[in-house]
Amino acid sequence: MRTYLRHPFWQAAGLLVLAYLVIAFVIPLLPGSAMVPSSVVLQYMATVLVGILIWVSDEEARWTQFKEPLHEVLVQPRLKMVRNGLLAAVTLVVGCLTYSQVRASVAAPPNLRSIHPAPPPQITFRGKTITLVGLDNPLRRSGDMAAHLAVGRRVYYQNCVPCHGDHLDGQGHFAAGLNPLPANFQDNGTIAQLTESFVFWRVAKGGPGLPREGTPWNSAMPAWEDFLTEDEIWSVVLFLYDQTGWKPRTWEVSAEAAK
Amino acid sequence: MIHALLLLTLVATQDTTAGKQIYTKWCAGCHGDNGAGDGPAAKHMIPPPRDFTGAVYQIRSTPSSQLPTDADLLRSIDEGLFGTAMPGWKSRLSDRQRRDVLAYIKTFSTFFADTTQRPQPIKFGNAPGGGSGAEALKVGRQFYDSIGCRKCHGDLGRGDGPSAPTLKDDAQHPIFAANLHENWRFNGGGTVEDIYRRLRTGLDGTPMPSFGDLIENKFLTDEQLWRVAQYVRSLSPKDAPVVRDVVHAPLTKSLPHAPDDSTWTAVAVYWFPLVGQIIHKARWFSPAVTGVWVKAVHTADSIALRVVWDDRSQSPDTSWLAHVGRVFATLQSDDSTPEQPAPWPDQLIVQFPVSIPTGMERPYFLMGSSGAPVYQWRWSSIARTAPVAGLARGIDRFEPLSSGGPAAQAVYDHGQWRVVFTRALASTDTASQLPFRTGRAIPVAFFASDGSNGEHGSRMAVSTWYFLALDEPVPARVFISPVLAMVLTLGLGMLVVWRAQQKTSYRRQQ
Repeated sequence: MRTYLRHPFWQAAGLLVLAYLVIAFVIPLLPGSAMVPSSVVLQYMATVLVGILIWVSDEEARWTQFKEPLHEVLVQPRLKMVRNGLLAAVTLVVGCLTYSQVRASVAAPPNLRSIHPAPPPQITFRGKTITLVGLDNPLRRSGDMAAHLAVGRRVYYQNCVPCHGDHLDGQGHFAAGLNPLPANFQDNGTIAQLTESFVFWRVAKGGPGLPREGTPWNSAMPAWEDFLTEDEIWSVVLFLYDQTGWKPRTWEVSAEAAK
Repeated sequence: MIHALLLLTLVATQDTTAGKQIYTKWCAGCHGDNGAGDGPAAKHMIPPPRDFTGAVYQIRSTPSSQLPTDADLLRSIDEGLFGTAMPGWKSRLSDRQRRDVLAYIKTFSTFFADTTQRPQPIKFGNAPGGGSGAEALKVGRQFYDSIGCRKCHGDLGRGDGPSAPTLKDDAQHPIFAANLHENWRFNGGGTVEDIYRRLRTGLDGTPMPSFGDLIENKFLTDEQLWRVAQYVRSLSPKDAPVVRDVVHAPLTKSLPHAPDDSTWTAVAVYWFPLVGQIIHKARWFSPAVTGVWVKAVHTADSIALRVVWDDRSQSPDTSWLAHVGRVFATLQSDDSTPEQPAPWPDQLIVQFPVSIPTGMERPYFLMGSSGAPVYQWRWSSIARTAPVAGLARGIDRFEPLSSGGPAAQAVYDHGQWRVVFTRALASTDTASQLPFRTGRAIPVAFFASDGSNGEHGSRMAVSTWYFLALDEPVPARVFISPVLAMVLTLGLGMLVVWRAQQKTSYRRQQ
């Protein structure tokens, strides 16, 4: 056992196994991380392998020692079984890999979807034209904030919870049946990246109002202008930011406007 | 022991002021500011949110009609209640926050105020071995019948027993007997241990009684009750179904027209979850059909698509009208005038595009639009062998086509519909009736309504787009390159070995 532990070949082999275990099983356990996709695992493993090869070939003596077991397997008469076994195994693996590559299997077409497509400069909301560019949430400047939030809260729980969930993380009890999944407002990639006018547009026009790059045919987001008033939508937008703690992106004040 | 100690320290440090803040922010939307289960979301879900003021809890480790322990309540907060709108909060709130909210929830009821009466959990033993063996399941099945499970849960456990239409909870809300084939939706968890505990404690506030007294009365032994739990567990698949996007339809020699044709047993099955239609008025927040199991095969000229789904009632069935009334009374409707219950049929719709799309663009998943219609097969339980093919241009616009639609055969069997649609691959009317082609990903979607749950029109369960692929037989040329690659690899390997051995013997000779 000791001799194996000191031998560079077995050290290298051990390091490879260890690296694989860390990448495949330990990383997903870290808070905030997910399963590492197999293509990324392959990249990491290639990097680790190159590193190990540089290390073993760094010193002449270590390199010679490293090659020893490889050479032994190739020439030693007593290792004939291992040699033939390895040859057969490698051949079989190559065969299977090639087969899985050439076998024609129908897969779902790739779903290339722009998550935050460019909004139109203006929309028609129940016959009224609303210019989105430069638009802020009008409720932030008028009336009682607590009252607006109470309306937004009621609207959210009566309409949005089945998909977006009571933690606003897109994991409502209907979410599993939908593709694309409902937006996760807790994530820093959704409302935290957007202006309130963008969110208003998405709520008002829903899936059917998406441009082509947003795959409008798949989205289960209703067009809420059929259900809610303008103020109700602005209130629920306020509620989304208040409940998650995110700040909406604001419009850059141009030099001219500031004058 | 360590757990008990931890729990004691946890309970000691609970803070109801902090708990109230958490509760108001994250729980009150459903459970209401005063814990009465009457938050703004309450009228959009069945089962409705728990009313904490009565302190009646389904998921407990304590005997029937007793208070739950803190650990019981914490478990429901942590894991949520499967098959309902209640999510698990373990990953969403900190340990401290969940403990605080637990302490606050208990303040809604005076029953928890009397701290001299600490609820004591039942000492559950361990499951006896051999639980999946034929003998154990036979005993389980025998007692499943004799203690009356089948009255509500049905002969085969799909929640379709004779009493099923009459069930309501203590607050008169409608309630379904659990479909025992979907253990991933059991409120308190789907393991044998979870099921056994529910059998021992009952689900307070619901018609599900406790069977603990039957053990005390020596009607059955503890082991026999465990066997019932093991039998119930055996009805569900080992793992909850996973959604795979593409239904593969292999090539067969003959087309199976009947739902129970033996050809189907060897064909892979695909599960697609369905959720309520809440996009168009009138929305439907409480669908009864949770999903469909789909199989498909094709011959050189025809396709057979088999759709199986669990449905507690063979609608139209007037014995469910009172249930429909309770559903309508519990849910808030989009309609200004409340609807009257009627004996509606069960329905299933299979949807395709009008032609196989070349790019990624497809018609709108929810029954197309005026500009881009979809091709649908509409099956109803009142015309079982006569599905209607037609074009939908939006959820309320359906134009039947006069000819060339599919044939269908249907079976209703103990709480389950099994329907097979068959049609020629080719179509004479290619402008509106999709011609099926092999080797292509054909978009497909499913919609289902349970008439005895008040579902009709836009009130139904829906899926998004998935795909159907009619697989072509593997051509022989596919095997050429793997064989070539293997020969090359083996040759190269042998060459390396031979070279190495040559070198070594050469060196030895010197």
